[in-house]
Amino acid sequence: MSVPVAQLIVDGMGMGLIYVILAAGLVLMMNVSGILLIAYGEFYAIGAITVWTCVEYLRLPFGAALIVAVVITTLVGLASYRFIFQRIQHRPNNFLSQVVAAVGLMLILGQAILLIFGTVPQKVPSVFTGMVRKFGITISVEKLFVMALALVVTVALFLMYEKTRLGRAMRAVAFNADVAALQGVNTNAIYMATMGISGVLAGFAGGIMSGVYEIYPEMGHNIFFSILLVVMLGGMGSIAGAVVGGLILGITLSFGLYFTGGMAQIILFLIIGVILFFRPGGLLGSRIQL
Amino acid sequence: MEVAYSSKGGPRSRVKGKTIASALAVIALVLLPLVVKSPYYMHILIMSGLNAILAMTFITMLRTGLISLSIAAFWGIGAYASMLFVMRLKASFWLALPASIVVAGLIGLCIGYLFVRSAGFGFVMLSAVLGMLIIVVFGNLKFLGGYEGIESIPPPDQITIPLVARVEFASKAPYYYLMLVLLFVTIVILRAIYAAWTGRAWMAIGLNSRLAESLGVNVFRYRLWAFVISSAIAGMAGSFYAHYIGAVIPGSFDVFKTIYVHIFAILGGVDFAILGPIVGSVVMTFVPELLRITKVIEPIVTGVLVILIILFLPRGLLSLFGIQAMSTHVGRRIEKLGSFIKASLGFRAR
Repeated sequence: MSVPVAQLIVDGMGMGLIYVILAAGLVLMMNVSGILLIAYGEFYAIGAITVWTCVEYLRLPFGAALIVAVVITTLVGLASYRFIFQRIQHRPNNFLSQVVAAVGLMLILGQAILLIFGTVPQKVPSVFTGMVRKFGITISVEKLFVMALALVVTVALFLMYEKTRLGRAMRAVAFNADVAALQGVNTNAIYMATMGISGVLAGFAGGIMSGVYEIYPEMGHNIFFSILLVVMLGGMGSIAGAVVGGLILGITLSFGLYFTGGMAQIILFLIIGVILFFRPGGLLGSRIQL
Repeated sequence: MEVAYSSKGGPRSRVKGKTIASALAVIALVLLPLVVKSPYYMHILIMSGLNAILAMTFITMLRTGLISLSIAAFWGIGAYASMLFVMRLKASFWLALPASIVVAGLIGLCIGYLFVRSAGFGFVMLSAVLGMLIIVVFGNLKFLGGYEGIESIPPPDQITIPLVARVEFASKAPYYYLMLVLLFVTIVILRAIYAAWTGRAWMAIGLNSRLAESLGVNVFRYRLWAFVISSAIAGMAGSFYAHYIGAVIPGSFDVFKTIYVHIFAILGGVDFAILGPIVGSVVMTFVPELLRITKVIEPIVTGVLVILIILFLPRGLLSLFGIQAMSTHVGRRIEKLGSFIKASLGFRAR
């Protein structure tokens, strides 16, 4: 039996692109604000669950529900920065405090999701139906649509970070916040904007995946480790690293599931360990000193 | 520091007061099972003691500037090693406990030899990968029971302590005393190491590793020591845990457990290497349990508590009582000195 290589690659890219968006949001946060936001998976779950609630109870169309989800996750992100992280941001040696505060946020949001959503897995009814068959690859139209949207968002984020004034200010703050402030960059506003953009990305990723995959309350908790792996693999410092890492992880997992179950996962971890051993900053990242 | 030296009697009577206070605390802890009868509360006490031991290993590593996300992994290695010794080799628990300490220490030595070289962020990432990998390894090896784990691990064999009693592990109280003994041994060992040259070298490395290196401290070797000692202690806690709970499940040793251990240590106060973990773990284990009437909102209350403590007591709960950690005062001075030297040598601060 021959191995359907192209099919496996396309399958892996479906989840891989979701990983890419989330990892890009996490990298942005870590790079600009220096916050390892452990609650990021919960943001993603909030996005997915808002879409489900809007479609199921309010009978909104999928597009409107997606917008509502993005707005809500962004607001949650901004509120959590304003009321929690902003107070810790200016302390010296604040890495551990930020991690602990993020864990507190994760507990609160996770339990709130569980209370509101319940424990039963759900699925948002499909908007598109039908399958596309080309070059020996079978893929649903819906999945294709999700992949296209994810690609658009990633490119938009990349352009924002590299080309716009806001992106340049973000890169300046990421390089050195004090020097950026001396040049007239309002660092606090930049931190706020970063949190907002990360919230948008999480809400978007959660929203678009809700049409294809199942929604359950622990989904944020479960996906966070994968995102962390992507970030480690691709590199701390760059969005391009998140793209590379996300696609590698998605495709590797899809191949691994095809050939064997869990053993492939062990090999994946070992590969990541070896890469990190020789390049502690990840594939595309620089060496980072804590 | 004014608090310490302006109080009447000076430092000597302070040390005496501290000794008396610790002796009273030990007596109170030993007599506690006479007051607390409920097995449920005994269980919480035992678990908070266990968490305190794990949190102490975190602080040991943090002293040398290593933030480890693999504490729970070594905890799990200890638990699985002890399970294998008792169930496959039919060894006694009292043999399996030291054996699993040695196993966890040796694995810590091998892994630390590879990991500790890349300090800082690289170490955080590598230890996180180890923390995630270990679950998958436990879950996929058939003779370790897969993801369902292994149940019905026998309790420790009965033991006769000369002149005291025959101890049989039938109720919670013997486990409690065993936990106390382990906690006490950990504290004594860690205190001795902190007071010795090794501990000073650790503290110097944690404050400024480059400065310590320039003063002749072998940074790699002392970091490796800290990692191995922490792993061995975590392995001991794991061995106890496996026989206390009577089951090992891979999911209970995941990275989130390690993050909880970090929280216990940080909430108590990172500057207090012994008292901080104890206070942090007791508070963090008991407060959610006391709020058990409102089971559904318990994680929310815990989360709010954690955030409030981080926001308003950044130096931990113990700073509330005005206890000054000796290390912070000395540390701040050394840090100032270090940054001065660095600045004069033209290092780029990062």
